[in-house]
Amino acid sequence: MSSSAVFAGDAGHESPNFPLRVVDGLTLPPEYRKALRPGEEWKDATGRGRQLPRYFYEVPSWDSAMKIELASHFLLWEFIQVDVREAPPLRTFPRYVPCAITLLAVCLERFREAVGTMVHISANGGYRSPSHRFSKNATLHSWGTAANIYRIGDTFLDNRSAIERFSLIARETLPGIWTRPYGAPSGFAEDHLHLDLGYVLSVPRDVKS
Amino acid sequence: MAARERALTSQIAKIEEESGAKAIGVALHDAETGLELHYKADRWFHAASTIKVPILLGVFAAIDRGDLLPHSRVHVRNRFLSVVEGVPFRVESGRDANSAVHNAIGKMMRVDELAYHMITTSSNLATNLLLGVIGPDSVNRTLKELDVDDGIELKRGVEDELAFDKGISNMVTADGLLRILVLLSEGKAFSPALSRRMMDILHGQEFNQGIPARLPKGARVAHKTGEISTVAHDAGVIYLPKRKPYVLVILTEWPPEGTGRSRTIATISHTIYEFLTQGPLDE
Repeated sequence: MSSSAVFAGDAGHESPNFPLRVVDGLTLPPEYRKALRPGEEWKDATGRGRQLPRYFYEVPSWDSAMKIELASHFLLWEFIQVDVREAPPLRTFPRYVPCAITLLAVCLERFREAVGTMVHISANGGYRSPSHRFSKNATLHSWGTAANIYRIGDTFLDNRSAIERFSLIARETLPGIWTRPYGAPSGFAEDHLHLDLGYVLSVPRDVKS
Repeated sequence: MAARERALTSQIAKIEEESGAKAIGVALHDAETGLELHYKADRWFHAASTIKVPILLGVFAAIDRGDLLPHSRVHVRNRFLSVVEGVPFRVESGRDANSAVHNAIGKMMRVDELAYHMITTSSNLATNLLLGVIGPDSVNRTLKELDVDDGIELKRGVEDELAFDKGISNMVTADGLLRILVLLSEGKAFSPALSRRMMDILHGQEFNQGIPARLPKGARVAHKTGEISTVAHDAGVIYLPKRKPYVLVILTEWPPEGTGRSRTIATISHTIYEFLTQGPLDE
């Protein structure tokens, strides 16, 4: 584990069944700060500044990611699958994921209940850092509040019919959720369902600042 | 040119004439005798899937530089952008010989797995995924650095139909592919170990109706085929017992309705095998 500031556990009574430590990204070693850009402003596609997450859960190993449940049907590993395009320090453990990831997991669990079958998050489609080569324009994926879903049950979401059908279910099930419209241009999606909660920053209650 | 080589050239010309092919290019380098043969070997052909050999070289260049590891993971996604105006396109699953890569859509595969599928079953999806990671410019830089860029024009990924319609295609000459395969067979691509790994992948080729088809059972061929409606190619390194290998590239172009493509390549391969192993041919 790094020598960064750690909060959960210090308080002792916070989330006793949730094993991940909370880390202030500003206290991480330089290579992580450079990749995660904790608390920095990042402009979205309209030019509006958005503040990146500062607090992260520290994931010590892939083994732990495979075991930790964020919701009944979603394990942590599903949210942190990134490929070779992720910044090198963030492809090894410990890994860091914004604290809002738990909110996304709860939403996806509710969505799963609504669709009645398995919901698969794609690689690079959960959390990815602002330094990931696919990350641009303040992508919600860097807040840990967006998911790209490529398959639901046996249905691949690679056509208008499937994407629009499940997009509608998501919007009806999850108040305030945003889904990317079907289509090829930038800002649209044609081979997955993108849903997100917006620019949510989760600050654990035992954080002092 | 010695009489023997003239005789071989005549035989290839005869095969070409009788085949119905629009054009045939052949390049040969025999490490045992030092013999070289270049029959229309500087003629440009649509590369079809033989372009995957230069791409393989580009992937291993990235591994050699440390930009990639063989076990680096790549997101399998079937969405690519045409070099023409960035229009998205997909690789039809029916165009790949096996479904392994298509079955991994949404998941990740390792670089070495993708490289294996790109070569052994000529997976177009694997090819475009790898090219998406390293980029065509990187492959072209590698070819130049290794001094094997002459005779290879890599412009885009595969199945970019919009580019094809605009006449933007990957092109190769027999000599161009020969230079790369000679480099690989001599263990001079980056390092002997990396060259060997690339050769191992080429040895896994599952399409064997061309160069290997009429060779004896003891022959081992590390090769890559390529075929679209108007071309059929095979390029590889042939290992026979008790002699050094030879490198052979056979490129053929056909009218769309042309038949006997694999048979023609196999016949040329057999002719060269006999020439190299059974003494002089009749003039």
